[in-house]
Amino acid sequence: MGKYILKRIGYMIAVLIVLSFVLFLIYNLVPNNRAYTDAKAEMMTQKTRLRNATQEEKDRMFDDLYVEYQRKYGTDTKNIAVKYLRWVGLMPNYYGKYSGLLQGDFGYSYELKNDVVEVVKEPMKNTVFINIFATILALGITIPLGIVCAVKKGSKGDQVMQVVTIIGYSLPSFVTAILFVWIFCSLLGWFPPSGMKTPGSNYTGWKWFTDRMYYMILPLITMTFCSLGSMTRYVRASMIDALSLDCIRTARAKGVTEKAVIYSHAWRNALIPIVTLVVGWFLGIFGGSLMFENIFGINGMGKLMIQSLRTQDFDVVVLLQLFYVAISLIGNLIIDIVYGLVDPRVRVSA
Amino acid sequence: MKKKNFFSRIGGWIRRIFFGGSRELAKSVDVEEVVTPFQQIVRNFFERKLAVGALCVVISMFLLVFIGPLFMPRYYDSYTEVTQKNVAPTMSMLKVPSELKNDVKMIDSYGSFSVGLSNAGKVYVWGATQLGTTGINIADIPEAVKNDKIAYVAAGIDHIIAISEAGKVYGWGSNKHGQYITTDKEVLEMLEEAEESVSEEEAALLENAGVSADDVEGEESAEKASDEENAEETSEETEEAAELNKAVATGENIIPMPDELVTGTIDVANIKKLVCGYQCTAILMNDGKLYIWGNTNAYQNINSFVDKEGLIDIDFTLNYVVGVTEQATSIYTGKRGLYDQYRSNINKAAKASKKYLKGRKIVSIYATNNHICGLLDDGKLFFAGNFPADSVAMPKLNKGETIVQLSAGTYHYTALTSEGRVFSWGGSTLGQTDVPDNVTGQTAKIFTGSFQSYAVDANNAVVGKWGLKGYIFGTDGYGADIFQRIIQGGKMTMTIGAVAVIISTIIGIIIGCLSGYFGGAVDIILMRVAEMFSAIPFLPFALILSAIMAQMDISEDKKIFILMCILGVLTWTGLARMVRGQVLVARENEYVTAAKAMGVREGRIAFRHILPNIVSIIFVTLTLDFATCMLTESSLSYLGFGVTYPRPTWGNMLNGANNSTIIKNYWWQWVFTSIFLAVTCICINIVGDTLRDVMDPKSDRDK
Repeated sequence: MGKYILKRIGYMIAVLIVLSFVLFLIYNLVPNNRAYTDAKAEMMTQKTRLRNATQEEKDRMFDDLYVEYQRKYGTDTKNIAVKYLRWVGLMPNYYGKYSGLLQGDFGYSYELKNDVVEVVKEPMKNTVFINIFATILALGITIPLGIVCAVKKGSKGDQVMQVVTIIGYSLPSFVTAILFVWIFCSLLGWFPPSGMKTPGSNYTGWKWFTDRMYYMILPLITMTFCSLGSMTRYVRASMIDALSLDCIRTARAKGVTEKAVIYSHAWRNALIPIVTLVVGWFLGIFGGSLMFENIFGINGMGKLMIQSLRTQDFDVVVLLQLFYVAISLIGNLIIDIVYGLVDPRVRVSA
Repeated sequence: MKKKNFFSRIGGWIRRIFFGGSRELAKSVDVEEVVTPFQQIVRNFFERKLAVGALCVVISMFLLVFIGPLFMPRYYDSYTEVTQKNVAPTMSMLKVPSELKNDVKMIDSYGSFSVGLSNAGKVYVWGATQLGTTGINIADIPEAVKNDKIAYVAAGIDHIIAISEAGKVYGWGSNKHGQYITTDKEVLEMLEEAEESVSEEEAALLENAGVSADDVEGEESAEKASDEENAEETSEETEEAAELNKAVATGENIIPMPDELVTGTIDVANIKKLVCGYQCTAILMNDGKLYIWGNTNAYQNINSFVDKEGLIDIDFTLNYVVGVTEQATSIYTGKRGLYDQYRSNINKAAKASKKYLKGRKIVSIYATNNHICGLLDDGKLFFAGNFPADSVAMPKLNKGETIVQLSAGTYHYTALTSEGRVFSWGGSTLGQTDVPDNVTGQTAKIFTGSFQSYAVDANNAVVGKWGLKGYIFGTDGYGADIFQRIIQGGKMTMTIGAVAVIISTIIGIIIGCLSGYFGGAVDIILMRVAEMFSAIPFLPFALILSAIMAQMDISEDKKIFILMCILGVLTWTGLARMVRGQVLVARENEYVTAAKAMGVREGRIAFRHILPNIVSIIFVTLTLDFATCMLTESSLSYLGFGVTYPRPTWGNMLNGANNSTIIKNYWWQWVFTSIFLAVTCICINIVGDTLRDVMDPKSDRDK
């Protein structure tokens, strides 16, 4: 098992390197020149000193500054591999200093005038908070629902659920969100349509939590509803497969109670694919919440990402993208390990 | 009898050509019917009613979006129409109320609704009467107007002005921009109610959307005014309310309605013309005196008309007030160089005004939104202004035929000639110029407003009406017909989905086949690549790519093609894995061994022998992926990446519906598009799911 995990981790690192290189290439496609921007800004601060300088002197000074900044940021070379290694932090820049991702230098947000790491902190907290809540809610509903549908397969209720779930997973998430805002905010007036907290309020402790939840309820309901469809179908399908196993027939023949058959024998067998799905889905929800954060005005990573893309604040975008990639890779690793744990054949063959 | 035999024999041949002869053989020779797996699948599929229904819906959607655009030759993407913004779904724009039908005195319209006046002095309003976020329904005619005998009536974009025979000036509708000032309690109550229906938070959103803070303040004081008025119903209070109400209207960028019109009366016999513009109103008297008031933001040159005397005609284009002074040698705008190039017809070259007129005088002018038609004292017409490309030129008049009456809409003119013929020309985008045949010879009067024209006979009965009926799905924030955009957008959405799916299928099949058939190192490498692709977080990655693409200097068509490629390249992994699995199974079959034994090349075996056997499963994935690609494109476009305005897709048409004000008040802007998108996706998924079910023999056994 240890060997297997090591192998998967090694593989994950390889993928990470390739993907980070791809990301770096994309980042290079962006018309975003940090050295140029900083040099320009520096020139602006020197304005008073340069009042009497000629255009030529100014140009010379700007060129010097530009080269200096390029050296500082490691972009003073045309060699893309060197640039990449410097960006990651595996190669020193002109001054012999290592300043890359590995050293924690993720760049600077010109739009928000702060280090990218600082910018990302708060939204990340919010995103993780809401996603964990949504996951718990969705799992709490879908698993029992899927089991019931599988056990009562072919009944009226099951047929209705089949149609409902197909609608649930075919509806675009933003359409669902618009629909829910219309129903719950415009028609019923139960929840606020967007925002994170009551404007102008400064609550602490329990009050803060209830206020927060009041604003979070509608996004949570929507997120849960959107994931109900596919999850329920999946649980139902794997439960049906498990119920048709020979061991179930044997258990029933032995006179085991139906409850025990379903929740002990069948459920454990159905769990194998479901566990993989849950992990993968939990990671997918990070990407998916991008939509909801934008619709409901939640200060999360998805909203930050869209905002940064709009304002062309690409340092932020790249960090967020790296985060999404990392999440997805870690997710794959967990899936692999869980697979190995629950299904011995996988780790033998690997 | 013989004939029928002949036909049935031919039918039998055709059947046998396409479906094989097994069924007939089974009948005649009494052997068991042979059914190929494909036939079995089709049969099973058609047994499921839900799936067949879904398939029908999908096919009709396809036909609608791919054939529909052929019937919309006048459509273009960047169409905007400022007077038709946010119009609710209605087909009643030409529906003259039955009480008015046989007793028309006048009809006028500017925006989405029309106002009519009967000879009995009653006012009728029809069309899209709900005025957007203001919460006002313009069809709620105040009691005072209903009880009075009205002599003149005119409609602006969101207000109506009526003058009674006693000379009282009434106004109702929106007055946020000083369209009118009123002391009428009922109107004030109506405004207040409308105010309440637009909640505070929505007002804040409106403010963000561009309505200035001044307006909001103005509304507050209007509310105050009404409050006080309700408290005590004395005339003193009413006056005070009027004062406050006036204070609203004297805000920035507003020319208030003259005092003598608010409290006093006007000499009705002396009125020459009552005309409403966007949010302005003008009353021209016979002696050349002009009352003009309203929103100065709407008309840049309105200040040159305040206290202007000696005009003989006045009208409103979209941005300018235009008039004719007593000299009658040019169009007066208060600005130099505006409308001083005249032409004899829309398609003719323009000349400087002096050269063109040669001493002739202008009698009257009729302004559309961006061009003007004028009548000269010799009975000839002239045109000034810019003419959009879709403008239809004026038809030639017969010799000796003169224009008796002329009237202007938003882009078109309608004229009645001395021979009783009726013409419409000018803008034709919304069918304004399609004059019905039966009006010739019967018409005594014509009325034109916005996109509608009405012909009325000598007995004041409507004999013909033509132009824009309305919008079945309403209009969007740019004034474009949502139904047309849904069809055009569907074409774009489905094309993108289809091409993306084809790209992803080609990649998926090639990689899946290669990796499944050859195995070993090829398999390992290709599957690692596939895993790498599936590790890419989809939506964020597509976002960043399309954001970068948006900055590149390439044409819109290329951008859309790249978008298709991005979607295709990011979605092939699932299919590749499935094809690989299927190939692994198929590889062990006897026919592959046979092919190998016959010395068929390996690549040929993979693509020519194995692939056809797994094509049904590929087809299922293709169907389901098509829905996914459509959804992804919609999500990207919804977020403002992907395809951008003015090109419509179902995603970016929903882009505007991101705050509760629009979601609530302009429900038609998202409901219909959402329904189309959702129904299409649901039906495609149902078809795909059912296909998968009927192909899987195991699931068949379960059922």
